[in-house]
Amino acid sequence: MENELEEIERPPSVRRTFTLRHSAARQVAVNFMPSRQLSFNTLRLRRTNSEHNALLEDAVAAPDEVDADKRAELIVREMEQHQRLMENNPEAEELRREALRDLPQGLTMKRNVRAKLSASVSLRSRQRPISCFKRLKYRISFAFKRLQDRFRDFTFSIELWYKAIRNIEGHFGSAVGSYFYFLRWLFALDLILCVLLVAFVVVPQAMYTSDRNTTLDRGFVDIIAGKGAFEDSILFYGHYESGDVSGSGPPYYMSFAYFFTMMCLYLMFFGVLCYRTADSYRRNFIETSDGLSHLFANKVFCGWDFNIVTAQAAALNARSIYNEFKELLNERNKNNQSTYFWTRMVRCFTNIAVTVLVLGTIAALEYGLWQLLATEPSLPRWELVISLVLCAVLAVLPIIFGIIVRLEYYAPRTALYVTLARTWLLDIGTLLLLLVYWSHSDLPCWETALGQETYRLVLLDTLISLFLLPLIEFCRALLYKLNPKCSPPEFNVAYNSLTIIYNQTVLWFGMIFSPLLVVAVTLKFLMLFYVKRECARRACQPARKVWRAAQTQTVFYMLVTLSLFAALFGLGSLFLRSSSRSCGPFRSYEQVYGVVTEGVLQLPSRPTLKAALAFLTRPGVVGSLMLALCVSVYYMRARARAQQCMVRMLRQMLLLQAKDKDFLLAAIAKVSNGG
Amino acid sequence: MGQGKSQFTEEELQDYEDLTYFTKKEVLFAHQKFKALAPEKVGHNKNAKLPMAKILQYPELRVNPFRDRICKVFSSSNDGDCTFEDFLDMMSVFSEMAPKAVKAEHAFRIFDFDGDDMIGVSDLREVIERLCGPDLKLSDSEIQQLVQNVLEEADLDDDGALSFAEFEHIIDKSSDFCNSFRIRL
Repeated sequence: MENELEEIERPPSVRRTFTLRHSAARQVAVNFMPSRQLSFNTLRLRRTNSEHNALLEDAVAAPDEVDADKRAELIVREMEQHQRLMENNPEAEELRREALRDLPQGLTMKRNVRAKLSASVSLRSRQRPISCFKRLKYRISFAFKRLQDRFRDFTFSIELWYKAIRNIEGHFGSAVGSYFYFLRWLFALDLILCVLLVAFVVVPQAMYTSDRNTTLDRGFVDIIAGKGAFEDSILFYGHYESGDVSGSGPPYYMSFAYFFTMMCLYLMFFGVLCYRTADSYRRNFIETSDGLSHLFANKVFCGWDFNIVTAQAAALNARSIYNEFKELLNERNKNNQSTYFWTRMVRCFTNIAVTVLVLGTIAALEYGLWQLLATEPSLPRWELVISLVLCAVLAVLPIIFGIIVRLEYYAPRTALYVTLARTWLLDIGTLLLLLVYWSHSDLPCWETALGQETYRLVLLDTLISLFLLPLIEFCRALLYKLNPKCSPPEFNVAYNSLTIIYNQTVLWFGMIFSPLLVVAVTLKFLMLFYVKRECARRACQPARKVWRAAQTQTVFYMLVTLSLFAALFGLGSLFLRSSSRSCGPFRSYEQVYGVVTEGVLQLPSRPTLKAALAFLTRPGVVGSLMLALCVSVYYMRARARAQQCMVRMLRQMLLLQAKDKDFLLAAIAKVSNGG
Repeated sequence: MGQGKSQFTEEELQDYEDLTYFTKKEVLFAHQKFKALAPEKVGHNKNAKLPMAKILQYPELRVNPFRDRICKVFSSSNDGDCTFEDFLDMMSVFSEMAPKAVKAEHAFRIFDFDGDDMIGVSDLREVIERLCGPDLKLSDSEIQQLVQNVLEEADLDDDGALSFAEFEHIIDKSSDFCNSFRIRL
């Protein structure tokens, strides 16, 4: 016994050369183990049938058809052990359909299995009459499934830019492809927003005011600045009526329409974004995070991008994988020497210093902006100058942040996240500052002023992102063509994504003050798609470094959601309290939420309801609700922790089991060899 | 997509919809792509068997380092020649709708070059060599080191090879696998 123990305890390097583990006898023994026989999950089930049993039984070369038949039989036999699969009702049928679809076999085999399965089901059918309620349930779930299928069919045939994005993906890999998917998704989102907003808010107002036509001169600068004749137009908040706008026929109260459309859209899209982000986060961060890191295994098994089509991109992909392997090995060899304490201290210090510097820059910029806004206009188009400066700063600073981060000691991915966070902070800070500034100004209609500000930001940014940046990229491409030694222009996914996120953020902030902004942003995204596609196809080279897109993509979605959250927070705390009383759809109410309390619920004439609501909004009640929320979050967190512990324990057990198995197999081998 | 319709009956399409991750329209679209590989042959017989060389004309497969393995894994005759149904199977597994587990299963078979149901040292070497392409060669000791590292990370039961369970564990924990192991129709 001691002898055998020693054998198991040998170092792994020796054990790897242990040849018995690949012998046929060992394989047979392993296949007879209960864990391989029992099918407690569908996956194991599929494998036991497909490979191992076949391996066991067709040692004698059987003709193909007989073999296939036998394998189908085996699969059916395994499936029959699942009671839920074998019942003769529509639900089980659906389950069978799914199980068949997930079977890793060819179509012929699936058909074979299906025929045998349905025969087996009808053989053992004890069809009980199902209740009326259940039948209804089945019918509804069926109809829903069919509707889903039809919907997928439909979306496939109308899928926007399908060929274009696929083409780009083939040339540049899935990372650049994911940028275009992101752009398309936001475009679709804004399109829906556009339709709803125009239908419920803009069109009724436009119809009401179309009769009182104003003919003022509309200069070019007015268009860009949103001033002059545009100030009092459907572009901006101040123009909207507060009363009935239907003219004749059933009444249509603009204040209700405006409030509820905006409210519903904001909340609906907040929900959609939260869901999408949480889903993506769960898939890419939570489910994939655990103690073990599969750095090398990931590179080997997930390295190749199967989307690639062109030979050039394939060669680049191969080269980048080659380089990554080299880097990984270098790092592994270097890691053996421990880094000195002082080096780490210096690095940490540098990181902190640079971060403080960047945060200070952002703060200084915000302060400067405030001063700029507060100075008396000295030039004729002062507001346009401010917007231009703002736009330039917002376009240039991210690039500087990208350079600064190279001074710090971060891993490439962390560096990207840090840059993203800083840029996002700058954008959000600026927009919040504008909101605060205008809401505290003593203009009669500060909402319109803010609407104009966001309108100018979107319009001027168009100039930069649609004309200037592509121009620079084309110039770089030309330079590269003339002198192939300089670095080729690559498609910068991070910077380009930030541009979209910035535009979307401005939209979240400005939508309520300038309803037509959404149309502008949607159009801009539409043009951006074509411009960027041309840029990518004509000016850019495929990236020389593999860009792992999945997690970064999640971060982009997260930033869009956070922007919306910040916008909701800003609007909720500033706009709902201090809307101006001289313009806009809410001019007849003391505060914006008066639309609900006075307009819809008519609280002043319903004292009980008012008392109930007053009770519900008391600090004590809200506080205790918050407390309950905190407690439930804490509870969930504790459960998650416990489950993590459980996972760790189970993994340990798995390891021990494998070692036990190894030990026993070795012992068996020894005994059977007469040792 | 109109002209492809005549080649399939409604039942056949329903059948394909049931057994793959595609909808009817996508099946027809896939058939168009299949037909583009050998127009006259497939026009004659919609489920014609095309030799591997023809299947490898498919753009994504043409540059893929594992192209021959992919064809062999999906070929119903195991020699790399594919009928339309095999092709549909392939596209279905590579499609966006296919779950990770199914993809992992096929990836395992693609990487298992010697077919012993384990990804052993020789399989890993082959995968790494193919990944780096025909022009770039890692030295023997480097490959050895890489293989060693992969096994150290993923070979939980220390038997010198990755079983399917171990392989699936890697895939489960990888956020990029679904993005990279995908071919759009």
